[in-house]
Amino acid sequence: MRRVLHLEKIFISQYLKQTMEYKADFIVGVLGVLLNQILNLIFLQVIFSQVPKLAGWSLQQIVFIYGFALIPKGLDHLFFDNLWIVGQKLVRKGEFDKYLTRPINPLFHVLVETFQVDAFGELLVGVILLVMSSATVHWTLLKVILFVVSIPFATAIYTALKIGTSAAAFWMKKSNTITYLFYMFNDFAKYPVSIFNHLIRWIISFVIPFAFTAFYPASYFLTGKNVLFNLGGLVVISVVFLFISIKIWDKGISSYESAGS
Amino acid sequence: MSMIEVSNLTKDFRKTIKSPGLVGAFKSLIKPKYETFEAVKDLSFEVPKGEILGFIGANGAGKSTTIKMLTGILTPTSGYCRINDKIPQEDRQNYVKDIGVVFGQRTQLWWDLPLRETYSVLKEIYNVPDKDFYKRMDFLNEVLDLNDFITSPVRTLSLGQRMRADIAASLLHNPKVLFLDEPTIGLDVSVKDKIRHAIEQINQEEQTTIILTTHDLGDIELLCNRVFMIDHGQEVFDGTIKQLKNRFGHIREIEFELVNAEDANRLNFSQFGSAIEYSQNEKNVRVKFDSSKVSVPDVIRLTLSQVDVQDISVKDADIEDIVRRIFRKEAAEHD
Amino acid sequence: MTNFLRKYRPFVSAGIEEAIVYRANFILFALGNTLGAFVTYFLWKAVFQSSTNSSLNGFTFPEMVLYIFLSFFTGILTSSDGSSSVGDEVKDGSIAMRILKPISFTANYFYEEIGSKLIDVGVLAVPLFGGILIYQIVGEGTPVLNLVNLLLYFFSATIAYLINFYFNICFSFTVFFFRNLWGSNVLKNALVIFMSGSLVPLAFFPPVLQNVLKLLPFSSLLYTPVMLYLGKYSAQQTVSVLLLQIFWLIFFIFLAKIVWHFAIKHLSIQGG
Repeated sequence: MRRVLHLEKIFISQYLKQTMEYKADFIVGVLGVLLNQILNLIFLQVIFSQVPKLAGWSLQQIVFIYGFALIPKGLDHLFFDNLWIVGQKLVRKGEFDKYLTRPINPLFHVLVETFQVDAFGELLVGVILLVMSSATVHWTLLKVILFVVSIPFATAIYTALKIGTSAAAFWMKKSNTITYLFYMFNDFAKYPVSIFNHLIRWIISFVIPFAFTAFYPASYFLTGKNVLFNLGGLVVISVVFLFISIKIWDKGISSYESAGS
Repeated sequence: MSMIEVSNLTKDFRKTIKSPGLVGAFKSLIKPKYETFEAVKDLSFEVPKGEILGFIGANGAGKSTTIKMLTGILTPTSGYCRINDKIPQEDRQNYVKDIGVVFGQRTQLWWDLPLRETYSVLKEIYNVPDKDFYKRMDFLNEVLDLNDFITSPVRTLSLGQRMRADIAASLLHNPKVLFLDEPTIGLDVSVKDKIRHAIEQINQEEQTTIILTTHDLGDIELLCNRVFMIDHGQEVFDGTIKQLKNRFGHIREIEFELVNAEDANRLNFSQFGSAIEYSQNEKNVRVKFDSSKVSVPDVIRLTLSQVDVQDISVKDADIEDIVRRIFRKEAAEHD
Repeated sequence: MTNFLRKYRPFVSAGIEEAIVYRANFILFALGNTLGAFVTYFLWKAVFQSSTNSSLNGFTFPEMVLYIFLSFFTGILTSSDGSSSVGDEVKDGSIAMRILKPISFTANYFYEEIGSKLIDVGVLAVPLFGGILIYQIVGEGTPVLNLVNLLLYFFSATIAYLINFYFNICFSFTVFFFRNLWGSNVLKNALVIFMSGSLVPLAFFPPVLQNVLKLLPFSSLLYTPVMLYLGKYSAQQTVSVLLLQIFWLIFFIFLAKIVWHFAIKHLSIQGG
């Protein structure tokens, strides 16, 4: 474990040095991500200027759900974004060879290689929103502990979906559009599931379970109800999905065909 | 005891068969048909510790596929290889600690950063202690002259510098086995020389076992005690370079530059029969022949007697030629 | 002739196969983006259900549905990839090759883009625009399908595409300052999505902001054609928004020329 953290540190500093080669571009990018989130909030504001409550939820509550959604999304984006590249080109161009000739776990190696600093845009806005709306939550010590615990599990759902879909590239050569299709379902997670129809509700709960990355856990903190489904479900789903996706990944590596040199 | 043991190694690839035309393209999108393609068939050989093995074959002969199985990147369809007492596919992470790999067409260096940074990260990845690391870097500097460009970003290095840097990167952890896939491809003569010399030195100092694939006969002649040649995924030769030449004949090539291009019509080598062939490009005539059957002076003498010549150069043929030659010979034997 | 065909057939079918694989990727990608439109749809549905009014800022629910999906379709129709091509070419230095060709550089990009663009839009128009039309015909309380509005929409959307094309060409030259286009692209996209009305109709903003946004070039990219389709403009307003679009088009054509002029100077001094 110490070695894992040590390598993570080495790779992060390495990545930051690389990013600094394009300093101006990077700063503008972070501003862009920040702005994007702020504009989305203005959108929410516009909606609530029309109605006091949305499907029974107040603006404050929606802001809490929205802010909660940004935390696991941002963490996954920050640490594990290199998975996109697997399905985009690493496998297709045979560049994945490199990871297989190094004495560390290839999945870990792929994961630690980037540190997507623009994710701080999402994380910052997420934290601000949670702080702004935290008055709507009746906080207890238990809730605080559960809140901290739920974050890594919610992040794992994002990462698991990215691992599983990018591993498809080991068979199909290119799979980033599949990852994209799955990933885009995260947009549904930012709002109460009750506004969606049954099919979509079912998909985002159990097939591409982004609802567990935001709405379900957030609704527990807001209402204090259904802890078993809202948080227990999160833990079970994230462990199951992570387990399955790592199995797919391992199976994929043994079917990896490289590419003619 | 041998460092590398390969036994009945076989690799099949499944290829999609593409039917022609628009309808066909749609068909293969919906219900693809497959065909099995045997890239490597039943290879067996052993390499003792400290040997440099030249692994040769034409393009698409299965060299890279074999190397990728030996390095643990690909899983064999059947058969196995045991290297440094480990099966690469079973214990990959442990196995790769003791090997170094260079793919000439790719790089494992960090593109946007000064070269030195790559080595400090690899040091961590391979867990090389500080003392060993500095000693090793000194040695590699001495052999490969890295100091000239170690502070430059990798993207600014020339091809030759990059290759030297990549070889150094593969040796940082002092591997017992080194795989070099086309390490001299695209390099000019002086850089090739430097790299060959470095490989030789590394092999001698550390008794490193080396497998080298190349298209360059020069690499083989200077470095390899032994040559292993494959074609269509199968072994066609295993022995010393001298045996290879004796067995398949010296293929030589002489290039004549004529005074008048039209003189070429007067050339007639029919007295040497099938042992010789020639091709013409304006004033230049290339003559290829088997020097065990036809002597170099005879060819020159005959040519000079037929046409006016400005210049003559005599060359050794490359691996591609030898492979092609072997192939034709075998085909002839089958007829 | 048959010989000719036999010789080139492999190339043609390889081209088609490549195109199909590329298209399959494109469609999956577009499908991913459609999800965003559906999220917006459900959100507005909930808003209209929670509201006591049947119309919000002049939009009935069926009009809003049309607005969401039509603005999504228009976004694809008018998208232009010129900036990333220019950016990549500046980075790897191949932009110098453009100078050597005896053809206007913008025309060059334009012809490269328009071919694949027509196919992409063709492929997506069937399900998307088809869906919009069916909804309009069978849906309850939807605005009546109107041929004049339809024609105005396509005319306006074509101008919107051209504005976007030239705007992106101008924008791409920021790569000279940033050495990379990732960051400025993120920033640009966020601003364009917001100011063009694709996130929320401009009519929902406070009047002052609305008037400013309607004058800026971004509303010409998306809001104008969609509003024309919905028949939200009087004859007089229609003429003025179209004139504004044409003004911005001319503006960016000239700006692209000027920027290109300076870029060539920059290239010939710095050597790329």
